[in-house]
Amino acid sequence: MKLRIDGDVCMGHGRCYTIAPDLVTYDDEGFPTIRDELFAVPDDLVATAEEVVATCPEEAISLFDE
Amino acid sequence: MTDMAAPPRAPQRDVGGCPVMHRDFAPPGPAGCYWDLAKELRDGSPVYFNTFAQGYWIFTRHDAVKDIYKTPELFSSESFTPWDPEPIYRFVPTQIDAPDHIKYRRILNPWFSPRAIEAAEDDLRALCRSLVEEVASKGATDFVSEFALRYPTEGFLQVIGIPPKDADLFVTWVEDFFAGFGGDPAGLERMTNALQGIQAYWAAALEERRAEAEPRPGDLASHLLHSTFDDRPLTDTEMLDMLTVLVLAGLDTTRAELGYMFRHLAEHPEERRRLIEEPELIPLAVEEVLRYYTIIFGDGRKVTRDVEFHGVELKQGEMVYGLVSAANRDPDHWERGEEFVIDRQRNNHMGFANGPHRCLGMHLARREMKIAVEEWLRLIPDFEIATEEQLTERGGGSMMTLLSLPLAWDVAS
Repeated sequence: MKLRIDGDVCMGHGRCYTIAPDLVTYDDEGFPTIRDELFAVPDDLVATAEEVVATCPEEAISLFDE
Repeated sequence: MTDMAAPPRAPQRDVGGCPVMHRDFAPPGPAGCYWDLAKELRDGSPVYFNTFAQGYWIFTRHDAVKDIYKTPELFSSESFTPWDPEPIYRFVPTQIDAPDHIKYRRILNPWFSPRAIEAAEDDLRALCRSLVEEVASKGATDFVSEFALRYPTEGFLQVIGIPPKDADLFVTWVEDFFAGFGGDPAGLERMTNALQGIQAYWAAALEERRAEAEPRPGDLASHLLHSTFDDRPLTDTEMLDMLTVLVLAGLDTTRAELGYMFRHLAEHPEERRRLIEEPELIPLAVEEVLRYYTIIFGDGRKVTRDVEFHGVELKQGEMVYGLVSAANRDPDHWERGEEFVIDRQRNNHMGFANGPHRCLGMHLARREMKIAVEEWLRLIPDFEIATEEQLTERGGGSMMTLLSLPLAWDVAS
């Protein structure tokens, strides 16, 4: 699974790195560091990634199958 | 809420069959009445035209409120009070649209980032602990005046480098400002005087720091004097407009959320017990408070061009009001939306707004709320509401807040 945070849509609410600190880290302004990257989700964090997608208030996060 | 309803006047324009109302959202009422009203309006229609003031549109459902937030090119933040399209204040960056908005936000973002708040955690906790210790042995308090007003005020001033001894000045100004903000003409003079007081305070603070060659560490006013916008220094007006809104937004809002959170905990001993036994749930409980007890009754925007939006024809210059408090419980978006679910997952609420103007101070607010629950429950695990009288909340137009919350608990002798 790949995860992508759309940098134009993300507003830095910080819910992703709060519920999934193992998956997402943040910068000095409080935005996720992996914005606009296709990020490979480790197998044991797929369920967490799904929570992250559903919790984002801006709907900025997507999961891809390939 | 029938006392707020008056027979609707004919709107000045053809509203195309949309339901019309004439309602003032400024008056205070029994605690919780504005969420009841939000539900009533949401259940009644997705959109209304309110003939109050110059007239404005009200959108009640999650999808439209979200679209208003996510389409800033159609919905300008130039005014966010729909009954007052040309306010006497100018908040920066709150009322600034793209492309300048993000430039101001980037000056302020690091001060309220998770890292900055992490660094402030120990001081915030020490402050909170000392305030709880002060009241714990008394066995009773007015939670609002003795705790909820003082803790976020002193915590916020600490984060921006202002001495806590000035907290009382700010508390009074903030109360006075919101007397007029919600659209009550009787409060306008107090609002104007409060604005002048706040601006004079910051003007003096800037003057005191202006000649210094280096920014004072941890001092936001000093930092602004050394910040640039498009490679030029910020003007005094810009700095004053930034500092003023921070005070108003930073002090009043957390106080309001704390009031509703502790009223909820006072009325639900089983949930209090659960947070003591499972403290890892506290952050989820904080998010649920922000969703269920959304203090922003509605958020206003100004329409930038004629457009059809969710079935109505909006005209350039008209005001819209997105009922965030209704959207955050909308059954079309939420499972058990009208229920408080203390461990709710996937809670993508809009309690801090949405889109580019999302609350700058959200990380501070959450942290303050989490610390407040932890520290309060540690010393005062059991408490109840100490009055038979109905609690009162301020009108939704100024953001709901409990005017007082008398609490009592047993003190070991």
